[in-house]
Amino acid sequence: MKFISLTILIALIVVFVNPFFPYWIVMILIGILSVAFGLKGFVSFLAGGLGMGLAWVGQTVYLSFMTGSSLPDQMAEIMGASSGVFLSAITGLIGFLLGAFSAYSGSLFRRMLKKRPDNIYRG
Amino acid sequence: MKYFSFLFVLGITIALAIYISRPIGPIPPIAPLLDPNHGFWQNMISEDEKAESEISLPGLSAPVQVNYDEHLIPHIFAQNAKDLYQAQGYITAKHRLWQMEFQTRAAAGRLSEIVGEIALDLDRITRRKGLGYGAELGLDYLKANDQETLEYIESYSKGVNQYIHELSPGELPVEYKILNYRPEEWTPYKTLLLLKYMSDMLVGDRDLEYTNLRKILGAEMLDKLYPDFSEESDPVIEKEKVWDFEPIPIEKPEGVAYPNDSLVFEPLPQPAEGIGSNNWAVSGTKTKNGRPILANDPHLSLNLPSLWYALQLTTPEFSVKGASLPGALGIISGFNENVAWGVTNATKDARDWYKITFRDGSRNAYKYGDEWRKTTFRIEEIKVKGKEDFLDTVVYTHYGPIVYDRNFRGDRQDVNFALKWTVHMGSNEQKTFLSLNKAKNHQDYNQALDHFTAPAQNFVFASNSGDIAMRIQGKFALKWPEQGKFFMDGSDPRMEWQQFIPNNQNPSTLNPERGFVSSANQRPVNSTYPYYVFDNSYEHYRNHRINGRLREMDQITVEDMKELQFDDYYQQASEILPTMLKLLGDQVPEGKNSQTFLKQLQNWDYYAEPNQKAPTVYHIWWDKLYNLIWEKWDEFGVAVVKPNSYRTIQLLIQEPEGEIFDNKSTSEKETATTLVRKSFELMVEELNEYILKEGDYAWANFKNTTIQHLVPQFNSFSKSHVYTGGGSGIVNATSGRNGASWRMIVELGDSPNAHGVYPGGQSGNPGSKYYADLLPIWAEGDYLNFDLRAPENLEGILFQTTLK
Repeated sequence: MKFISLTILIALIVVFVNPFFPYWIVMILIGILSVAFGLKGFVSFLAGGLGMGLAWVGQTVYLSFMTGSSLPDQMAEIMGASSGVFLSAITGLIGFLLGAFSAYSGSLFRRMLKKRPDNIYRG
Repeated sequence: MKYFSFLFVLGITIALAIYISRPIGPIPPIAPLLDPNHGFWQNMISEDEKAESEISLPGLSAPVQVNYDEHLIPHIFAQNAKDLYQAQGYITAKHRLWQMEFQTRAAAGRLSEIVGEIALDLDRITRRKGLGYGAELGLDYLKANDQETLEYIESYSKGVNQYIHELSPGELPVEYKILNYRPEEWTPYKTLLLLKYMSDMLVGDRDLEYTNLRKILGAEMLDKLYPDFSEESDPVIEKEKVWDFEPIPIEKPEGVAYPNDSLVFEPLPQPAEGIGSNNWAVSGTKTKNGRPILANDPHLSLNLPSLWYALQLTTPEFSVKGASLPGALGIISGFNENVAWGVTNATKDARDWYKITFRDGSRNAYKYGDEWRKTTFRIEEIKVKGKEDFLDTVVYTHYGPIVYDRNFRGDRQDVNFALKWTVHMGSNEQKTFLSLNKAKNHQDYNQALDHFTAPAQNFVFASNSGDIAMRIQGKFALKWPEQGKFFMDGSDPRMEWQQFIPNNQNPSTLNPERGFVSSANQRPVNSTYPYYVFDNSYEHYRNHRINGRLREMDQITVEDMKELQFDDYYQQASEILPTMLKLLGDQVPEGKNSQTFLKQLQNWDYYAEPNQKAPTVYHIWWDKLYNLIWEKWDEFGVAVVKPNSYRTIQLLIQEPEGEIFDNKSTSEKETATTLVRKSFELMVEELNEYILKEGDYAWANFKNTTIQHLVPQFNSFSKSHVYTGGGSGIVNATSGRNGASWRMIVELGDSPNAHGVYPGGQSGNPGSKYYADLLPIWAEGDYLNFDLRAPENLEGILFQTTLK
């Protein structure tokens, strides 16, 4: 449940914050959110990746449908890629990596701060 | 361990973020480019989808209303001229910022900053020609003589900069994102530079080639192959014109001698073939409605974003509409409630070269008569992307800059030539257009033109009071015969331009008896004009066709004029093909399809329609024949200009057995007949190869009209294989890369009835639906309604914006 909430929240941050700030600000926010959620490393990684990756892919698909512009295919040709759909996938992949590692960092940061219980008798 | 794993992953995260935000070699930073919120995806949104009803534009004295019509053509309604030009700057930048900036960077010789060392040579030549120097002088001229125009240009710059400052990363034009740079401040200097750049596009000279030819061929042969006046000359100003002024006496000084070097270096790049234009006006006596009609179609290199940006500009004082140049103020070719005007290129050897004799290697002084004059040094600092700055020292004489010297393409280290060019003289072209925009009659038009120096233009004019006029305006040196046709000796003061032809003695005509005026880059005047007129690039075919049609036409309508602008009649083919077929005779060389090709030519009506095959067959055949005739000249080993097709055709018709067709290096004697047959064989061979590779050889497919993005490498932003007819030398001058960059027809009356179109679209953004939406309309020979709009007329309005 927490995993789904984190994923959705990260996606929302991307959709609402990213238009006004560059992606690295979004990465920091994802990291902070991940600290707050305190999920395990791999789960955070996945939530961050899916949240940002799907949001980016979703945005490219939304823009393509809304505008009907052929710009993605033209850009693909200039960049030596096969098609606009491919660029959409690459955008998603980059979004995934950025989101995933940001969230993973956040999760590890929390684990690092978590003090070792010191009231246990270690005999 | 916990610390380590955190730091390790954080390290990966930061490295990843940094890695994709940096350019990798020529590849731009990938994340900012692909980020859907800031990257190229944002450029998919068309202008109407992000329409704003209100935009804050500090500095306006009153609100400005902007109504966009269905093709995104803005109609700007301001309360005064200053607000108007600020709004023009803002709105133009909103749709064409990258193009404006890119063109002025090219004109300033600053492309290396963006693309790196690859553009360094181009930047050097641009600077060594002194375009920037000319723009600086233009700015000085405005400061000293015309505060009003300078103020308007400053308002325009302010508007452009307001847009640049509010530009969000997502809205940044996609070319900046790909090439990874940012727009910089606009300045009045850039506006002037753009106008100088137009001169550079339109003006060439062949002094070097003629100098070589004079040495190789001798003066007599030179005159035969390059006559000053063609036999059936139909000049811009009608032949019957009587020159009613007392000419200033000028004679070739006795004993002057041209330097007689053989020159082996490369000439400056010349304006592309096919750059030219048509304009004409017919008087009410020849039209159905009894009103004058004016037409203009400038032919330039066909590019996207289009060179032109359509606009209406309105204040309580005037209302003008037509084509503007992004970066310059006002309308360049257009009309208002009272008058219409248009331009075609009227170059007249405006560039001359002087051989400079330096006193010594320091180049501090050069010989001028009996004295040594001091030079000045201008250091051009060229920033190069990814490299150290490049410093280029250019020596300036009182003639102008030394373009070639030991530092630059100095194949012969001892020759130095100074470039004398009207572009280097303080001038005020901007004022001409601002004045034309509000002109009410012929007198206003004449006064407006007095400010115009370069590039010289044929200004056509018509007014609702019934006047039609043509004036060839530029700053023309008063030359003795053949002055400046060849390289001259800069140490002999008698070789120098002494004075200029006064404006009121420039060729002009008002309401000529024939009922029309027209120009198509042909010779401006016939031999009765008292001054020496020379240029290598005068055109011979379009004017024949246009004047022929206008003479025979009567009861002319706007529709007739549209047809004439789109006229595909291949005049050149009609003048030579019958002779070529006659010389070919019955002995048709064998070869696959040769009979088919021949039949196509025999049955051809000389119209270069897009689906016709004969124009392709003729075009290749003529090309081969022309090359066969003159290829022997390639062996000279120096730069020469070959006789033009018009002169070549005359020789083919008049003296087919003439010596000129013989190639002395072969044993047999060539004549026109043998060359025609040989070229037919070569044509059959080449065309068969083409068919094998491409299939369809219909004219449109063969000539492949392409509207190319300003960065040719951005192929997918270009539009190729546009299905349209016409060709170089045809009234519809649409060849592969050149053609009618703007077509306009205006019938003057109580209110103007106007039509216009250009091969592109109002938006400079390749992702927008307004990027090339006018192209299909243009290709079909159709037009948009260009009538003036009132602010309250909201019919077919896309959206409205108020600037305040």
